[in-house]
Parts: sequence; structure tokens; C-alpha cells
Amino acid sequence: MMQPTTPRPPEWPLKLLRFFLKKEYLEEIEGDMEEIFCDALEQEQSYRKARRVYIVEALKLLRPVLMKNISGIQPVTPYPMFKNYFKTSFRSLMKNPLSSFINVFGLSVAIGICLLVYTFMEYDYSIDQYHKNKNEIYLATFFAASDGATQQYGTAPRPLGDLLKQDFGQVKKMCRVEDRNVVLKYDDNVFHENIRYADPAFLEMFTFPLKWGTASSLADLNTIILSEDMAIKYFGEENPVGRDMLVIFNDRIKKTFTVGGVAATFPKSRDIDFRFLINFENIRTAEPAYDINDWSKFLSATLIQVENPSDLKAVELKMEKYRVLQNAAQPDWAITAFAFEPLVTLHERAANIKDGIAHDYNVEGRIGMPIIAIFMIVLACFNYINIAIVSAAKRLKEIGVRKVIGANRMKIVVQFLTENIVVTSLALVMGIALCFFIFLPWFVQFTGWELELRLLNQNLWLFMIALIFITGIASGIYPAFYISRFDAVRIFKGSLQFGKKNPLTKVFLAVQLVLACITITAGVVFTQNNHFQNNRSWGYNQKDALYIEVPDKAAFDRMHAAMVRLPDIVSVSGSADHLGKTVSTAVLRTTANQSYEVNQFSVDADYIQTMGLQLIDGRSLRKDSETDKQALMVNETFVKHLNLTKPIGQFFEIDSVKYEVVGVLKDFHTKDFFSKVRPAVLKLAAEQDYRYLSLRVKEGGREETHKALLATWTEIYPEIPFQGGYQEDVWTNYFDSVDRSEQFNKVIASIAVLLASLGLYGLVTLNVSGRQKEFSIRKTLGAGIRNIASVILKQYAGLTVISLIIGAPVSYLFTKAYLDMLFAYPMPIGYSGIAIALVILVIVLLAVVATQIRKVLKLNPVDGLKVE
Amino acid sequence: MKITKLGEFEELVLLTVVALRDDAYGVEIKRELEERLGEKLSVGSIQSALKRMEEKGFLKSEFGEATQKRGGKRKRIYTATPYALKVLRELKEIRAGLWKSMPRLAHDLKMI
Repeated sequence: MMQPTTPRPPEWPLKLLRFFLKKEYLEEIEGDMEEIFCDALEQEQSYRKARRVYIVEALKLLRPVLMKNISGIQPVTPYPMFKNYFKTSFRSLMKNPLSSFINVFGLSVAIGICLLVYTFMEYDYSIDQYHKNKNEIYLATFFAASDGATQQYGTAPRPLGDLLKQDFGQVKKMCRVEDRNVVLKYDDNVFHENIRYADPAFLEMFTFPLKWGTASSLADLNTIILSEDMAIKYFGEENPVGRDMLVIFNDRIKKTFTVGGVAATFPKSRDIDFRFLINFENIRTAEPAYDINDWSKFLSATLIQVENPSDLKAVELKMEKYRVLQNAAQPDWAITAFAFEPLVTLHERAANIKDGIAHDYNVEGRIGMPIIAIFMIVLACFNYINIAIVSAAKRLKEIGVRKVIGANRMKIVVQFLTENIVVTSLALVMGIALCFFIFLPWFVQFTGWELELRLLNQNLWLFMIALIFITGIASGIYPAFYISRFDAVRIFKGSLQFGKKNPLTKVFLAVQLVLACITITAGVVFTQNNHFQNNRSWGYNQKDALYIEVPDKAAFDRMHAAMVRLPDIVSVSGSADHLGKTVSTAVLRTTANQSYEVNQFSVDADYIQTMGLQLIDGRSLRKDSETDKQALMVNETFVKHLNLTKPIGQFFEIDSVKYEVVGVLKDFHTKDFFSKVRPAVLKLAAEQDYRYLSLRVKEGGREETHKALLATWTEIYPEIPFQGGYQEDVWTNYFDSVDRSEQFNKVIASIAVLLASLGLYGLVTLNVSGRQKEFSIRKTLGAGIRNIASVILKQYAGLTVISLIIGAPVSYLFTKAYLDMLFAYPMPIGYSGIAIALVILVIVLLAVVATQIRKVLKLNPVDGLKVE
Repeated sequence: MKITKLGEFEELVLLTVVALRDDAYGVEIKRELEERLGEKLSVGSIQSALKRMEEKGFLKSEFGEATQKRGGKRKRIYTATPYALKVLRELKEIRAGLWKSMPRLAHDLKMI
């Protein structure tokens, strides 16, 4: 029975034949097989039978006579050969202890850094991933226009949470969060603390285990739950459940809470946590004016938990009505859309969400650290490649013998790769030790992140195995192929001009030098940048200025009265906001009805003088002037941002009150130098709003005044801890972090220089020892130090010059990009940084070469000539 | 005479090649031999015999025509070398000589 289309034989036997049979036989045999199939089809009249005949015939064709020689199929087991490879690897490692040490040490430093980066990345990616319901929890966020662009915010209108819970069955749990500063008191322990108001669902959604007490106690209005650290701070090691703590919301409202629970130690990789938790409803007690139904106000965070994440789309679609409600209540600050952010990716995305409950301090690290790790590995690999190629010269005979005995090229390649993996494994062991005992403790100490290298972690081992193979093969593949290429006959004849004509060796060395150049430049530029940042003008005179936070007007008055009596005081002023501490945001409306979000400082008339802000146009605010209650001072950025040609005399509206611009101030930093200066306005504050008292003192009077300030405060308010100090200290964290990144970059740069110079040292040493005979002949013929030095230097001079010519601009661009990424006001990079880096590099190079020249000079020519 | 290194099966294949002349290619040789021997043979056995003999210098080969039936693949036509013909003749003579002496032996032994 013939089918309408000609039946075809199955494909796979043909593929099998094509794979195994000799190429030259294939056409004939394939034709034969076609015929066999056709014949069988005619004879048997059945496709199935013909197919079987075809397959059987195909299998019978697999005979040794007809098959290719496949090198992979070896008649003997390869294990003894591998045993031999291991043995020779160890022997050759031992034979050249110096270059082996350089290889292994270089690789182990690089691997140590890789492991460090791995722990960091693992830490970063596991942040907040330990909550059982993490896949079901979402943060309510919204989009609103901010300075013309759309910005996502992590806060939510106050009534939103309640309505979500009521209107949508899909929302299983909901939790609102507010954060406030309060004073906490237990016996003699009184501290300013940040307290978190949260719905009882908080502890159900975020599964923080408790050490003592119960999570359900949060439902009780009179209960407070503490983190472990805080429990120790107030109560020591004992179980505080049942004890009473006094929470001082402000000087009129106080409430006693009973400790209901203490959280167990939080996992180290966390972002969202708490110190003190009290029931959300307490906010009504603390702030009687707090209106939960006010659509124009926002609370810190609203989180929901849904049964099924796919339901969220439906919820998101129906949130239009909330948007309408909010827009009606607050037209100045209109929400354009709502969105839910999953907890799983919240930390990663935190940098894009303004005012979110989650924070992201690691953005630069997440980008920078892997770059550093790759950098180091590449540097170490190039070291290895260079040294391997040169040291192969000493092993040429071994390779020749292997080839004569019958090793083919693949075998030699496999041998060298095996050797490489042995070296890399040794390096890994050292790398683990380096990471565990040196890098990690250092990193933890200076970043404060509690990273740990968990040696029992399965992923870590997978990572390490991958690392061994990738580094082993990446660094070994070129030397292996290069070395295995040589003819045995030419090796024995000694007619090989080894290594000299290989342009790639030079390229590798050049790459290595370029990499070293980049890292040294980075180190130098970062040090310079640190000085630059430290000495950068704050835009006002932060020296000899002090400040203190006060709870209310009464406290302000008492402190003010006490302070003006002091001898060193130049001026005293009060304000609601304070540079470097608090800044409020105002929405400003132009006469053309455009709105802008600006920083707002409510201050008194003396504030400008007290803080040393510099007036560049117009006049300062006047004291006791009725008209100046509607006067504004703006900064330069404000003028630029709004494109004002004549700022003085312009009118703006804030909260429906008209203000006139009377003066322009030089730009000043309200936050640290990581953030750009934003448009800012200063206006007179109502006296009852004063929360800060700032002082300017005569030169040399700061310590005295600080002491007096502290003493007066404790005398007047023994219950409330002192909060204030030198204005210079407001950004301690910032300067610490700049110091940290400088220190980090210096260490990395030193390691890179170390690696590069080790590599170069190994290379030059091998090269010189390979040319011992030549130098001996030169010396017997009367060559002096000049001749020998020039011979050695000539070999590297051209190459060095070329690599530095490439390296300098690359370093320039690289460091510039890196600084721009990190700082809002990066140091303008001049040539000095690169020049210093180049000088360092050249000195290191010369030092390395000089040691070898010295060696040659001390060499006895007779010994050199005797070398085999 | 020298040892010819020609196996029994190889000899049969070689004779078939000679007999088929211009038509002596893989599957045709197989068909012819199967018919004469009355048993199934595999392509593999024929091919390996052909290749071995080619290596030993009994056969020469060149590509012939391609047919539809062969999926557009060319045949390889085998021809015996003069050396092979000589060896075949020698073998035949040896056998003939042996046969000639056989009736007498058989008679003496009362086997026939």
C-alpha cells in the first residue's frame, strides 16, 4: 500500500551514520541506504517493516572499518593520565616557587574579593525575603507630578487603607504605618526614640518571630512591642514583658504602655523592621487633631496582603474613585495614579520610590562591587596568562616528549587546563581564607553591614565551583592552545624562537598595565575627591555655629533667655526648620498658576546672620515688620529653576497666601553633598513654631558654649535628653561614608597595584632568567650596567608608553563616570590625579625592572653560561 | 605462492564485482549475492568487505550516476584491479588442482 506522499525513512539513523562514519564514505552509503529503504518498501508493502529494515541496516553499518577516529573515544581509561597531570602540575609548581606563588596569590586575592562581593550581593538580594507571606504583601504607592516629572511615592492618603479593606474582598489584611519621634522613659533611662504606630496586622503580615510575649498583644491599645536591641537598651538581658514604659508624645500628652512582646534578633539582611511598635489607634491620643479621613494628608505607609497576587490588577483598575476623592481634597498635590509595589522587589526598587518605608543604600555597591570583582579576576587572569606563556618555555621539552610518546594536541590542552584548575583550586582555598580572615572582617568593620560568609551555603559552593572553572578555563585556555601548538621536532632541534614573536603576550601585558593604571587613578582621584568634599563650601558658615532642638515655644524662650547672657554669643535665633536637620516642603504657585515643589525654611530674621548665609541680591528679612510676614528669600537654584530674570519683587502663593521675594541667597546645602541643591525659600516663622535654637559664637568660644548649652538644658529639662550640638557635626554620617568609600577604593587600588606589579615582576624575572646565557655573553664581552639596563628596559619601554597612552584617557573617563554616579557635586577631575597615578605606576615598573637588572649585574657570567 | 589475504566472503564479493561489471555498486552487489547465496546479507557486511579490499588493492572505485531512487546520491562503482583478477585466477587454479586430485583420493577412500 503506497501512501500519497513518498514515505521517508526515519531521520535519526542517518544522523547517527553521519556522526560516526568516515566522511568520504557517506555519500555512497547514504545512497545505498535510500535504495535499501525503497526496496524494502516495495517488498514488504509496509512502512513500519521497511523502517525496521532500514534501522537494522543502519546499525549494522557501524563497523570499525567504516568509522571515523573519534579522539574522545579512548580505548584506555584516562585516569592514570590525569594522575600524571596532577603530579606534573605539582612538580612544576614546586620548580618555580616564585612564579607559582605569584599566580596562586594573585588569583587568591581576586577570588577572595569575588567571594566578598558574592556575600555582599547575596546579602543585598536576600533583604526582606524571609517573611513567610512575602509574595502576597504589597505597598500602596502613588504617582504624582513633581517638578514636571512623574514621581512615585511610597506614602498613601490616610483613608486609603481602611477603604481598600472595606471595598475589596481580595485584600486579606491591611496595615497602616506612621512613624513619629517621641521620648521614652523607663526608670532613669530616657531617650529620644523613633516609634512606629501600626495596625495589629503588621506582625501577621511581617513574620518577625518574637523572643518573649505574643504578637497578638499589639491589638491592645496599651501595649508596646520592642525590638531585641531596644529591650536590652532599656531593660538589660531580663524579660521585660509586663513592665511599664512611659511614652512622652509631647510635653502635654504622655501615656504609659505595658511591654507586650520583644522581637527575636532580626535577620541581618533586612530593611523593614521596627524599634518600638504601638497600636495605630494611639495616634488619636498622641495627636488629637489627627483626622484619619483627611484625603489631603498622607501617612508613612499602607501595606496590604492579598490572597492571590493576580487579583491586584483588578483592584488597581478600580482605584479611580479614590483618585477623584484625593484630587478634590488636595488639588495642589494631585495623585495621577495608584500602584502596588510587591515586597519581594521593594528593596531593589526603593531608590525610585520617594518617602517609601524601604530604603536603598546599596545602589552604588550593587553596580560597583561586581565591577570591582570582575576587574580583579581579569587582572589576575592576565597575570596568569602572561606568566604561563613565559614559563612554558621551560617546559617545552616536556611537551615535546609527551607529543613524541603519542599525546595529541587535545591531550596537551587538557593537561594544561587540568593544571590550571589545580592552581585555581589552591587559590580558592587561599581565597576563602583571605576573605574569611581579612577582607570580610575589614569590610564589615568599615561598612557596618553584618555580612557573613556562610561556608555551608549550597549556593556559595555552586558559585565557587563555577568560579574555579570559569577562572581556570579563562586564564588557561590561551596558554594551553598556544603551548600545545608547537612541533615536537622543532622543540628538540631548539629552533623555536619562543615567545618573542607573539604579539598577544604584549597585548596581554598592555591590558594588564591599562587595568593597573585605571585602578591607581581611581585610588588617587578618590583620595583627592575626599579632600575636595571635606573642604567644599556648605554655602553658609557652619563653623562656630551650634544648634539645639526644643520641644515647644516655652522651652525655646527659657533656653533663649539663658543663652543670650553667655559671653561668647554673637547672635541667637529661632526657627521651625534647620539647615542639615529639618526641612519642610512647600508647594509654590506662580502668578501664571504653575506650581513648584520647593524646600521651605521657616526662620526668624536673625537666622540668616546666625547661620552665615550669604546675601547676593536684595535685602534680608526684617524683624517685627508686619509686611515681611509675607516676604520670601530664595536661593540661586530657585532663581535658575524658575527662570527668573528679576527675582526681587516677584509674587508667589504658598497655601493661598501671597509672598513677595525680597532677597536672593547664595546656594547652600540643606542635605549632604550626595544630593543636589534644590530650590529653597526662607520665610518668617510664627514664634510658637520655633523648634530649633541656633547660636553663633565668637571664635574659640564653641566648647564653652556647648558645655553651657548642655548644662542649661539638663537643668531645665532633666526628663528630655539633649539633642543638638555643633553645626559642623550634622552630617557626620555623610563624611563617614565618604571616608569609607575613599578607604575602600584605596585598599582596592593597592591590591590592584600589588597584583599588577606581582605579574610584571614574575614576567620580567622569567624573561631575564630565560636570557641568562645572552646576558652572560654580553657581560664577558664587557657590557656594563648601561648596556644591560638598556637591553632590559628597551623591551618594556615601548609597551609601557603605549599602555599608558591608552590607560590615561580610559582612566580619566572611568573615574569621571564613577564619581558622577556617586556624587551630585563631583570633584572636577584635573590632570593631577592621572599624573600622580602614572608616576606611581612608572616607579613601580622601574623598581621591578631594577631588581632584575641588579640580579643580572650580580650574576657570575660563568654560572650563566653553564645553564643548560 | 604468497598468501593472498583474501577471505572467503571477500572472495565472493570480489567475484560478484567482476560478474556485475559496470553495475557493481553496494546494493546491487548485495542483491546479486543474496540471490546466489539464498540468504540475507547486510549493507554493513558488504560495505566493510568492499572497503577492506579496496585498501588491500583488490578493488578500485569511482563515482557513477545518481538516481532518483538513491535520493540524488551517486553510486560508487567498483572494478577489480588486474592484481585481483590474478589472485582470483590463482585461487581458482589452486582449487581446480585440488579438485583434480580429489576423485582419486575419494575413490581410494571409498568415499564416492
